[in-house]
Amino acid sequence: MTQGQKHTEATDTLIARLAQDAQPLRPLAHPAWRALVWAVVALAFGAAMVWAIGPRPDLADRLVDARFMLEQGAALATGLAAAAAALALTVPGASPLLRLLPVVPGVLWISTLSIGCLRDWWQFGADGLRLTPDPACFAYIALIGSLPALVLFLMLRRGAPLAPRWTIALAALAAAGLGNVALRFFHMQDAALMVLVWQVGSVAILAVLAGLGGRKLLPWPARPAF
Amino acid sequence: MAATRDEDDERRADSLEALMRSVQQGDAVAYRALLNDVAGRMRRLVRRRAPWLKPEDIEDLVQDILLSLHQARGSWDPARPFLPWIVAIARARLADNARRYARRAAIDLATMDLAETFCDIPTNTGAENVVNLLSVRKVMEGLTPKEQRAVELLRLREMTLSEAAEASGSTIAALKVAIHRAMRKMKATLYKD
Repeated sequence: MTQGQKHTEATDTLIARLAQDAQPLRPLAHPAWRALVWAVVALAFGAAMVWAIGPRPDLADRLVDARFMLEQGAALATGLAAAAAALALTVPGASPLLRLLPVVPGVLWISTLSIGCLRDWWQFGADGLRLTPDPACFAYIALIGSLPALVLFLMLRRGAPLAPRWTIALAALAAAGLGNVALRFFHMQDAALMVLVWQVGSVAILAVLAGLGGRKLLPWPARPAF
Repeated sequence: MAATRDEDDERRADSLEALMRSVQQGDAVAYRALLNDVAGRMRRLVRRRAPWLKPEDIEDLVQDILLSLHQARGSWDPARPFLPWIVAIARARLADNARRYARRAAIDLATMDLAETFCDIPTNTGAENVVNLLSVRKVMEGLTPKEQRAVELLRLREMTLSEAAEASGSTIAALKVAIHRAMRKMKATLYKD
C-alpha cells in the first residue's frame, strides 16, 4: 500500500468515526437573535450584581438624566452590536465586514463622553477634567462581565473559529460593555473624563487582551491519531 | 455541453443541501454520504489551489476540513446553499495552515544558512507543506526575476544545482549567488513581518 493510499484510508476512517457521531441538532438561530438571547442573560446577571452590591443613592435622578441615559444607551448598543458581530463571525460564509458592527454605536459612546468632557471643562474649568485613580472600575467590569463572557464563549464554540482573534475581542467587548452599563448603576462616577479613561479604557483593554488569546481560546479541532 | 455540465453540478449541489438537512436531523447514512462527497470536492479544491502538494498533505487538509465541518455543522442555515458554507471553512483552514507554516518557516530560515547550497532537508510532516507556496509567493514578490527563478528551481522543484542550471540556461555559480541573495531577502522580509 502506498503512502497516499494510507492517507486516503485515514480519511475514510475519519469519515466513519464522524458519521457514527451523527446526532440530531437544531441549526443555530440568526446571530442577531442569539445576541438578544445572550443580552437577556447578561443583563439579568448585571442586574443581580447591581442588586447585590447596592444601587447608587441617586439612581432615580440619573434615570431621568438625558446625558446619563444616552451614554448608557450607547454602551448597551455597543455591547449588543459586538455580541452580534462575534456570533456572526463564527458562521461560515458571513461577510467579514460584520466585525465592524459595533463601530457606529462605539463612536456614539465615545463621542457622548468626549462632548461630556468638553462640557465639564466649560462648566468647571480644569477641575472638571481632573483624573484620579479609579482602578476598581476595571475589577468591577471584569467581574460583572465574567459570566456573560463565559456564556458567549460557549455560544461561539458552536460555530467555526474563522477569525478567532476578532471573534474573542468582540465577545470581550460585548461582555465588558454590558458590565460597564451595570457598573454605572452602582458606581458614583459620572465625570466624563473619568468614565472615558477608567471605564471605556477598561473595556478596551479587556477586549484587546482577550483578542490576543483568540487563537488559543477558539482553536480548530485537532486531527485524531489513527 | 457546458450547459449540461453546469446543470449536473447544480443538481449535485442541491443533493448536498438535502444531505446536510438529513445530517442535522441525525441521519448517519446521509452524513457518511455527505462527508464522502465533501472529501472528494475538497481534495480537488486543495489540489487545484496547491498543485505542488503531496497526496498525504492534501489528505491532511481534507481531514482538517471534515473535522471543522463536523464541529460547525450546526451553523449551516438550511435556507442557504451548502457549498459557499463549506468553501468558507476550507479557505479558513488553508489560511490557518499558511499562517502556521509561515511562522515555522521564519524559524527554519534562521537556521538554514548552511543548507542554502545543498538543500536536502526532509519535508515537514503534516499539513504545513500545503501552504508552502502561499507564504513563499508573498516573499518572492521582492525578488528579481533571476532570484525568483533560482528559488523556484532549487527550492520549490527541489532540483539539483546542475539540473537547475540546465533548465534555466544559467551557470551553477550564478545560481548559487542568486539563491543566496534570494534567501537573504526572504529571511529579511519574513523577519520584518
